[in-house]
Amino acid sequence: MSTAFNPADVQGNILRGYRKPRVRYLMIEITEPIAARRWLTACLAGSDGVPQITTEEPWETKPDICFNIGLTYPGLRALGTPAASLASFPTEFIEGMNKRAIKLGDAGPSAPENWDKPFNQPARIHLIASIYADDVARLDSLQRAAISDKWGLKLLEPARDGWCFNGDYVHFNYTDNISQPKFAEIHGTDNYPDWDSQPMAPLGTVLLGYETNFEGLTWRLPQPEALGHNGSFNAFRVLEQDVVGFEDYLTSAADTLLKHRDVDALLPPGDEAKIGAGLSRRDALRELVAANMCGRWRNGVPLALSPDTPNPSPDVSRTNFDYGATSRCPYGAHIRRCNPRGAQIVQRVANHSRRLVRRGMPYGPAYVHDPSKPRDPNEPKRGLLGNFIGANLGAQFEAMSCDWLNLGLQDPRVTGSNDPLLGANEPATSWFDLPLPSGEPIRLRGLPRFVTTKGGAYTFLPSISAIRYLGAMSG
Amino acid sequence: MNGASNGANDASWLDRLVDWLPTTSLFKFIAAKILVPIWAWRTPVKRLEGGPRPSVQPGDNVQRMMNLVMPLKDKSAVGRALAALAIAQNKDEIYAGLDNVGTVHFARFVIVADNICMFSVYDGDFTNYIRDFIVTIGSVFDAVVGLVEGGDKVIPSAEHVDEFIDWVHDHDLFQVSDVATDILRDQEAVNGDAGGGKDDLRKLPRQLILQLNVNRNVSLGSGYRAYPGYSAAQVRQRFGVGW
Repeated sequence: MSTAFNPADVQGNILRGYRKPRVRYLMIEITEPIAARRWLTACLAGSDGVPQITTEEPWETKPDICFNIGLTYPGLRALGTPAASLASFPTEFIEGMNKRAIKLGDAGPSAPENWDKPFNQPARIHLIASIYADDVARLDSLQRAAISDKWGLKLLEPARDGWCFNGDYVHFNYTDNISQPKFAEIHGTDNYPDWDSQPMAPLGTVLLGYETNFEGLTWRLPQPEALGHNGSFNAFRVLEQDVVGFEDYLTSAADTLLKHRDVDALLPPGDEAKIGAGLSRRDALRELVAANMCGRWRNGVPLALSPDTPNPSPDVSRTNFDYGATSRCPYGAHIRRCNPRGAQIVQRVANHSRRLVRRGMPYGPAYVHDPSKPRDPNEPKRGLLGNFIGANLGAQFEAMSCDWLNLGLQDPRVTGSNDPLLGANEPATSWFDLPLPSGEPIRLRGLPRFVTTKGGAYTFLPSISAIRYLGAMSG
Repeated sequence: MNGASNGANDASWLDRLVDWLPTTSLFKFIAAKILVPIWAWRTPVKRLEGGPRPSVQPGDNVQRMMNLVMPLKDKSAVGRALAALAIAQNKDEIYAGLDNVGTVHFARFVIVADNICMFSVYDGDFTNYIRDFIVTIGSVFDAVVGLVEGGDKVIPSAEHVDEFIDWVHDHDLFQVSDVATDILRDQEAVNGDAGGGKDDLRKLPRQLILQLNVNRNVSLGSGYRAYPGYSAAQVRQRFGVGW
């Protein structure tokens, strides 16, 4: 196993975010393998009008556009990848995201049979190309250049566009894009311990062929090595967010809390101004509930460091914190469920082991909550186009999704509940505990499902060597 | 009237014959040795997957059963003794593993005929359970699986994590549903049929026989609980014994 890291061999969307204003995902069917293999080769050089694959190689000025590809298992098969190679891929990737639905909580309205086009035909999604650019016109022209019949590629409509809001916030109005695994090979080790309490992630967290999060454990490298090494896996998800339902729930939770006997312990009278200048008690409680559900105030300040106010003085780190025994971050808060950091968890061997690289952009217009406006029955669709990247889908994305995000197996105090933001919640059975500075928590009930899966696919993000290998296959 | 009552007598006589026939040795012999193989040849049935049925209900995802039946390479008293020793020598590691993995209620090792069997009750996802055990006490798995037919190709488990998990899953017994029509649903799913809604319940015994023909060892049901499902950590927390 070679361990020297060559950034020029790795696709650029794995280890860094491009921070481009626009992204478009193209779901593509391979109709003619020989032409499609020629296309892969053209992608490497950026020849014949096809955009060039962006790599991890450092740049001095950011390129105008970025372009990356992921292949599904049916896609590798459609390209004519030899059977022995196909069999060397992990089971979850071979089965595909739709077959793993129950593990991911994709049931009921999120079940694959209810997914939007083209995700309702998973066997036809062979390749997912992502284009990043500054504006829609550029995306359109790149799409025309990239995909055509002559390359044996058929676009499966509709493409999916995401865009950055002004600032780093996303739907539900939280600041996102705060914490990602950091790698010594990429980010250096200078000043690291001051930046984040979490250990640096080994490169094998996201890339195949390197030391993994588990000492002594190696993941199977898809064969031949040229195909597997420096590759990664991605869970691409189209996650629809019910922004109106979310804001409505905050209001109803605040109303419930106003009548709760322990509400003064949760928010001492007079402390509303700590949460926001001029906020009513009801609105302050709304923000308090939102912060507890996420584990961060909407401006990104972590409850672990600032449980009473989103505007601590002096300011606190957004990343350098842990969950000690006296932490005021709820056990069931979204960021704590998905990454318990060094907190006490049931699966003692699993701390820091299920981390993922997350790259997402919202779709649909930003929502401005205005309680005075009547509810619009034709609210536009909104959500997140998310990429959850790791070297082993089973050990990271799926493990996090099935035991932690839903079920709550990591802590007996949340077992039987689902993630308050992303979980497969049913109002009749759902609950979420708001911790009080002392004593029993206040239990909120009736959380509906705020996020519905509308599509997705497991893709393999091949290295540059792998794209060259696939392009050069014969037969 | 006479004709009608004669008819009823005929039917009763025929019914009794039909009921009696399957109890005869000849009929049993023909059914087991000729009819079932012909059925199985005409209607190939895929082996249904082992392990608990997938579910999103939290209560279904705790206290799940794993029933591994693994044929020993050495089918002699010596082979069985080696398996017994492999467990006995690793008792401390097994306790340490249970403690660190945190999601297991009980684990038992049993030798039945020439099989080493591991039966356990665990919480959460199967692959996470096995992966966490590989991380914690992979060497114990290796010692046991090394004695089992086909085990050599998946050890050491730390270097064959994905293959090892798939191998264990393949040895986990199919759990026959308590809901009669689920066997039809399961069979449709594994054959990739759209299915559903057109149940012919008369085919149920046949489907069960065909499945048991390819799946010789099965679990009947998914375990019967005397109390609602709680995770091992919930039990430990409530009793104040640390989790």
